[in-house]
Amino acid sequence: MRLLRALRREGVLGINRRNHEYTLRWNPRRLYPTVDDKLATKRLCQAAGIPIPGLIAVARRQGEVREMLGQLADLSHFVLKPAHGAMGNGILVVRAREGSHWQRAGGRPLTLEDLRYHAASIISGLYALGGQPDVAFVEELLEVHPALAEISADGVPDVRVIVHRGIPIMSMTRLPTHRSRGRANLHQGAIGAGVELATGRILHAVLDGTPITRHPDTDRAVLGVVVPSFARVLEIAVAATDQTGLGYVGADVVVDAKKGPVLLELNARPGLAIQAANRAGLLPRLRAVSERVRPEAPLAERIAIGIEIARTARFVESA
Amino acid sequence: MNRTAGFVGLLLVLIGLSLFLWKVLVLELPLAATDAEGLWRIELEITARGTGRRGSIRAPLPSTSRSQVVFDERSASDRLLFTIRTENGDRIGVWSGRLAGVHQVVHGFRVQLSEITTPLPSRITRQPSSELRARWAGSTREFPSDAPEVKAFLEGLWPSVPENLLDCLRTLFGFVADEIATVPSGSDDALLTLSAREGSAVGKSRLLVTVLRAVGLPARTVLGLQLVEGQPPFTTQWVEAWIDGEWIPMSPIDGSFATRAANQVALRTGSLAEIETTAVAAVGHRYHALRERLRPEELAAMMIPSNPWLARLSLYQLPVSTQSALRVLLLMPLGALVIALFRNGFGVSTFGTFMPVLIALALRQVALAAGLMLVAAVLLLGILGRLVLERMHLLLVPRLGVLLCAVVLSVTSFALLGREAEVRELSVGVLFPMVILTMLIERFSVTLAEEGMRPALVRAGWSVVVAVAVYPIFHSAVAEHLMFGFPELVIVVMGLLIWIGGYTGYRFSDLIRFRAFAKPGGGEPS
Repeated sequence: MRLLRALRREGVLGINRRNHEYTLRWNPRRLYPTVDDKLATKRLCQAAGIPIPGLIAVARRQGEVREMLGQLADLSHFVLKPAHGAMGNGILVVRAREGSHWQRAGGRPLTLEDLRYHAASIISGLYALGGQPDVAFVEELLEVHPALAEISADGVPDVRVIVHRGIPIMSMTRLPTHRSRGRANLHQGAIGAGVELATGRILHAVLDGTPITRHPDTDRAVLGVVVPSFARVLEIAVAATDQTGLGYVGADVVVDAKKGPVLLELNARPGLAIQAANRAGLLPRLRAVSERVRPEAPLAERIAIGIEIARTARFVESA
Repeated sequence: MNRTAGFVGLLLVLIGLSLFLWKVLVLELPLAATDAEGLWRIELEITARGTGRRGSIRAPLPSTSRSQVVFDERSASDRLLFTIRTENGDRIGVWSGRLAGVHQVVHGFRVQLSEITTPLPSRITRQPSSELRARWAGSTREFPSDAPEVKAFLEGLWPSVPENLLDCLRTLFGFVADEIATVPSGSDDALLTLSAREGSAVGKSRLLVTVLRAVGLPARTVLGLQLVEGQPPFTTQWVEAWIDGEWIPMSPIDGSFATRAANQVALRTGSLAEIETTAVAAVGHRYHALRERLRPEELAAMMIPSNPWLARLSLYQLPVSTQSALRVLLLMPLGALVIALFRNGFGVSTFGTFMPVLIALALRQVALAAGLMLVAAVLLLGILGRLVLERMHLLLVPRLGVLLCAVVLSVTSFALLGREAEVRELSVGVLFPMVILTMLIERFSVTLAEEGMRPALVRAGWSVVVAVAVYPIFHSAVAEHLMFGFPELVIVVMGLLIWIGGYTGYRFSDLIRFRAFAKPGGGEPS
């Protein structure tokens, strides 16, 4: 009961309410394809001049797998992904190469045959949201930015920004661990670290829903670390969301060591764990957006509104 | 909750409930089944292809006697004239006319059965009339009671002047029941059964009648129906002997003497013929049976409510096979309700949204633990198979196809195993939703590979919890009676589901996820 009161006081958004009042209301079904299909998102961003990880090869049918794999002959590191994957499922990260073999993230060896099988599984729809035939694609492997390297293990952290009606309202960075096998996925054991919108500084972090201060693998302090180029991260997140027409989006941005921030993907049903990472509810901020929303305002102004809302919005008991 | 959902939900709940209450309070329909014993609804369905000439289809109809009361008979046939004829005290239904094309005949009735034990007389005071003797004690082709083999057989067993008729009768009965083996492939003929010391159920019954007649007692076979709850009925036969003015039932198959169980309906005496036809090229027939849980007067109220509109809508008027299917179907909304509560109230995730409901449904006929173990065994075999397949790198659809075959094979072998070990639980596997089980194996394997053992087991565990929660509903005679007798309750369930669908509060899983919020401290970052 005390927990229930605390959640109400903080304005923590629950799944039922998120579905009713936000995803179902602000994200019309017909707009889903552009975010559920990562290749479509890529095209959209490319057209709008938003930086994305480089696309290396695409296989739309089983017959195109051979051709796609042919393009990998000279590469030592890349990522093989399903276009319609959910929750990071079906993503194969290739780190290094030894002769004819590759090496997966985590060190396991990988043959060309393994790659062919994985690509074929993707196209069969094994990892797709609804099991429909899917498309496999290969994109360049991003590199961990030195500023975040000490607080991530085995993989690349990303930054999740919740954008409601064109205004960024909350953000976290997801730091991979050994246990998450290098994936930036909270329910697989990655760290969720709340990032202050105004500064990009990590102020709070959780692992499995419990607050922590240090990375369990590297033992470095997580709190106080500043996400590099964070202002640019927000710009990319909001600009990409603007392209979709969706009103409640989780934008995932990776800060690459060389390219800087690039847009990884957009999510029309963003998870709620970001609230635990920030130890703050989404509701006060979401409600503040509906009062201060200015769809026509330029991007910079909307980001400023978001930062202001994040700083001031507190929950006021309402209908 | 949003206002429209709340309003629509309320409207549906009110509509459904008021219909329900009107039926219960105003029309006084029975709210709960009283669980009547031995009351059955039986339907005989005959399909015949005619030759184009005039002819008839004849079938035995049950008569009311001390052990069975037959009522509410109704007959339906296309283009044929239906009459009931009495032959030697048996009722025979006759459908006659020009038989062209395919004819379908349905004859349904309800029967109240009671177990009776006929008290055996201590002294024989009455002798059979000559009429009775002529009809039931003569030697015929079917019952060759004056054949030399029969005489030779009786020499050791039956004294020329029996002192105690009943004792001698018991010895004779005991011999046929115990010393002659019942083999399904045995002979139907009385004399062959006697010489081989084994025979079919029919052969043994005929032999008993033959020897009874040979010692001078009027005797006859009775054609009947054996009823088993939840299974189709099958025809059976037993023997009756006329002793001191009473027909005493006895069965050389199950060894019962002077009693008849309350799950047997007598159809006709003197002949074992089921369906007889003239001018028919091909004929097939089938019995359906359904145990009624309502007493006859309650049943009458449910079938023909005082309101003429409702009378047309009563599901009790439907054919028996449709009723059986609907009784199960109408429980499904309750299953959906439980699932919705679990998912949106508690926030648990199961494998496949309605999978637990389908599993619980398949387990309706058996004990829960045994059934779940069977599901687990099938899944385990499938998952092992999946591990082997993994090495071959097959494409998704053929791989699923192979898994489906493996599931079907394992369910089949469990059914065979169940017959060998005489464990009925093992054979319910055939009711499982195979395709769903296959998808389950695939999803479990993928979850295992992608997220590890723990999430896979947690999700499997919740699936079991939900199935266990749904199971008592599917198992309950009360729920079955309520949903079948008052289908308007489905509208109430719809209303409740709309309410659940409009619930915007926290799920139980939200509380667990955000449990850290309960502790004070931790400055808010902004």
